Amino acid sequence: MHNHKPALPARPPLGASGNVPAGSTNEPESPAPPAAEQAEATQAPVRAVVAPEGVPATARAHRTGSLLSAGGSLRHGAVTAAGVRAARAKAVRAKAVLAARAVGSSASAPVRPLPGKDRFQAASPLVRAGWQRLRPVRILLAKGWNALLRRWRISLQFRTVMVMVLVAFLAFAGVGAYLSQQIANGLFQERLQQAKQESSRGISQVQESFDNAQLSDLPSVSTYVRDTLTLLEDSASDQGRRYLMVQIPGQGNSLAVRSVDSGGITTATIPDALRRAVQAGSGQFWQSIPLASGTSDVHPAVAVGSQVDLLGTRYELYLLYDLSQAQETLDYIQSVLWLGGAILLLLIGGITWYVTRNVVQPVSHAAAVSEKLAAGQLEERMTVRGEDEVARLATSFNRMATSLQDQITQLATLSQMQQRFVSDVSHELRTPLTTVRMAAEVLYDARQGFDPINKRSAELLYHQVERFQALLADLLEISRFDAGAAVLDAEPQDIFQVIQHLVEGTEPLAEQYGSALLVVSLVEGNSSVVDMDPRRIDRILRNLVINALEHGDGKPVEVYVASDADCVAVAVRDYGSGMGEGDVARVFDRFWRADPARARTTGGSGLGLSIATEDARLHGGWLDAWGMPQGGSCFRLTLPRRSGSTLTHSPLPLPPDGAEGGFVHLTAPPAPTDDEVPDRVAGVGGDAGTSGITGVPGALPAGQVAP
Amino acid sequence: MKARILVVDDDEALAEMIGIVLRNDGFDPVFCADGAQALATFRSSKPDLVLLDLMLPGVDGIEVCRLIRAESDVPIVMLTAKSDTSDVVRGLESGADDYVPKPFKPAELVARVRARLRPGDSKAPETLTIADVTIDVAGHVVQRGGTKISLTPLEFDLLVALARKPWQVFTRELLLEQVWGYRHAADTRLVNVHVQRLRSKIERDPEAPEVVLTVRGVGYKAGQ
Repeated sequence: MHNHKPALPARPPLGASGNVPAGSTNEPESPAPPAAEQAEATQAPVRAVVAPEGVPATARAHRTGSLLSAGGSLRHGAVTAAGVRAARAKAVRAKAVLAARAVGSSASAPVRPLPGKDRFQAASPLVRAGWQRLRPVRILLAKGWNALLRRWRISLQFRTVMVMVLVAFLAFAGVGAYLSQQIANGLFQERLQQAKQESSRGISQVQESFDNAQLSDLPSVSTYVRDTLTLLEDSASDQGRRYLMVQIPGQGNSLAVRSVDSGGITTATIPDALRRAVQAGSGQFWQSIPLASGTSDVHPAVAVGSQVDLLGTRYELYLLYDLSQAQETLDYIQSVLWLGGAILLLLIGGITWYVTRNVVQPVSHAAAVSEKLAAGQLEERMTVRGEDEVARLATSFNRMATSLQDQITQLATLSQMQQRFVSDVSHELRTPLTTVRMAAEVLYDARQGFDPINKRSAELLYHQVERFQALLADLLEISRFDAGAAVLDAEPQDIFQVIQHLVEGTEPLAEQYGSALLVVSLVEGNSSVVDMDPRRIDRILRNLVINALEHGDGKPVEVYVASDADCVAVAVRDYGSGMGEGDVARVFDRFWRADPARARTTGGSGLGLSIATEDARLHGGWLDAWGMPQGGSCFRLTLPRRSGSTLTHSPLPLPPDGAEGGFVHLTAPPAPTDDEVPDRVAGVGGDAGTSGITGVPGALPAGQVAP
Repeated sequence: MKARILVVDDDEALAEMIGIVLRNDGFDPVFCADGAQALATFRSSKPDLVLLDLMLPGVDGIEVCRLIRAESDVPIVMLTAKSDTSDVVRGLESGADDYVPKPFKPAELVARVRARLRPGDSKAPETLTIADVTIDVAGHVVQRGGTKISLTPLEFDLLVALARKPWQVFTRELLLEQVWGYRHAADTRLVNVHVQRLRSKIERDPEAPEVVLTVRGVGYKAGQ
């Protein structure tokens, strides 16, 4: 909205009523000036319009937004050509600035605050103290602002209401400004027409009366003039037509009065520009002026001036019309507009709030309900009211929730059933198996007293029961994973303790295969505490080591250990027949065997690596495989040090000895730091040799022999 | 004198087989097939050790274990077909000293039984102290501030093992070997559960132990 009230004069307030050089004085005002000019006139608070002749305009701004604020401009004569108008518009813009400056420096101009930073310097201690005292208020404001911003972000309703209100406000402001300006213009034009008609009538009456005057002495002239002019005051249509008659200077006539007025009106009231115009030419001129009334009130008014002739002396006669009534009407209309706009704005805000609430409320209700559903409160439902779109949303939402609940319940039941089944089968099978196993062992222990057939039978029974038992144990374990019944029982423990036990436990087997079992520690101090379930980690590593021994062709089997701040890795490397691409890809599949022929002799359920994978996954760890035909194979277990944290890399490369080629099967995305690791391995490997584990000359930089 | 062993198991074949094995190794087995009868049989037969199946008709094995433990410190070894952590821990927490998972080997069973029946090792008169707890090893008495604390033989052994070497940090494996008599690595949950039970009896505040301290990532040691 404009920062000032629109003023009545929507066009240059001072104009000649068309009596170009010798023209008739009673012509109505020419049609409204071009739009550009109008806009110019309404926009600047202080305006000066310069006549084509270069007559400087008088600019006054006593009452911003009143009829006066338009300042004065003088347009004299027949300059109506479009080209000149354009030139004038340009000149207007240029001069406006000058005029504004002139006003600022004039004594009558209102005292303005010092601009910009000067304000602080001028009143610094006091202002600064006040600024300090305002600190809590500022904090409060900042908080409020932040709360609003937050509201804006999270509430669709708030946002919609705010946008609606803002748009409505802008629309009202535009319409209001336009209406107000139109009304102001209309009022002014009407009053001006009236003033001009009355003036020309009045002035011609006066002139007529003067023409008939037969006077010889000055006092009678004075009386005559006063009596004549008083008539003007009386015949005025509405309140306040006042007059001033001044002798145009530079005439020597003994029978001339100097000036006559209706009280309070002096030549100071009349703008110089108007006076000069009246003095210079014959015809009727007008200008809007501020009219002081009483002590402080300044009313907008129009001064219409013309020359009259009395006994050979030329006088300027001004008639002043008070426009304060029109201004009051305008003020009233504006206040009504403001009030109406404000009420309408409130109404629009309220309506928007209500409408969006109706739409947004079910949505946020749905959001709340779905959050509860997601959090596991499967009983939660939306309330259905009516039959509209919102009700349909609620109904279908509820239907979705119900079917979701059913499926989840069903799955949960299934999972529970499966768990119970596994548990029951486990118990039901194990009890008789225990009896069979014990019986088989008793028979086996006593086999020396049997005849050869019974003895062999006892041996077969014993071994096959063992194998059956191992198979059953693996099957039950894997089905426990499948049922989701496996629980991680993690506690911080040193991985080296587990490895120590593992090596001790597999020593006899290594001896049997003729393989050396070496531990290569890349960890300083040979201690690395990890959150783990030692039972499961032992099972994984035992499986890897036994596999390596079985497929190692009697060559050494190396167990690499490395760690960093986030994770620990153990890799088991053998140099046996290795694995081809297809083997590596399938090595973790259930019941998959690298060499079906050999599997029969070595036993094993074919589930070992599957269980190991599941165990690793339970820890949030990785189990990766690498293999190369005739180059051996390697399995690497990587565990996060803190249970629950996510692995991003492994401290060991795969394979850890830097062998080239081969095929890799990763259970996790490739480690980004793998490229750096070989260097580190080499470096740390050297240190590890001194870190306590017995070195094995010729085999590896460091290691422990578990023959 | 033959040690009497109460076998509580509803599976007759298994109970009989266990009986054969135990008799073979010079024990005197007594049988009970019903959880509800177990306590009565226990009172009448006064066994030196109880072999208890976790899943029993009538009264649950865990409940039986709790009942027996409430009136006696006799060693209890559970026979369990479930190796799920929660079941094992529940059994141990209800008062069992050890457990043997099915299917077990006869030798394994006998080894566990023997380990639990270990005679007092003809202990020399010896008094140990950890923090404000006094242990009279020969007299099998633990006191704190003149108050006697009742411990099962296993808990007592655990405490003595720690108290004898207050400077040493015992790994769980080492304790399993010294206290339970395991040769090879076994279930370290045994140690955890029994340390918790021991703490609940001898510590002023089991949440902030002073007698049996945890050494993170390694094991346990005696307090000063």
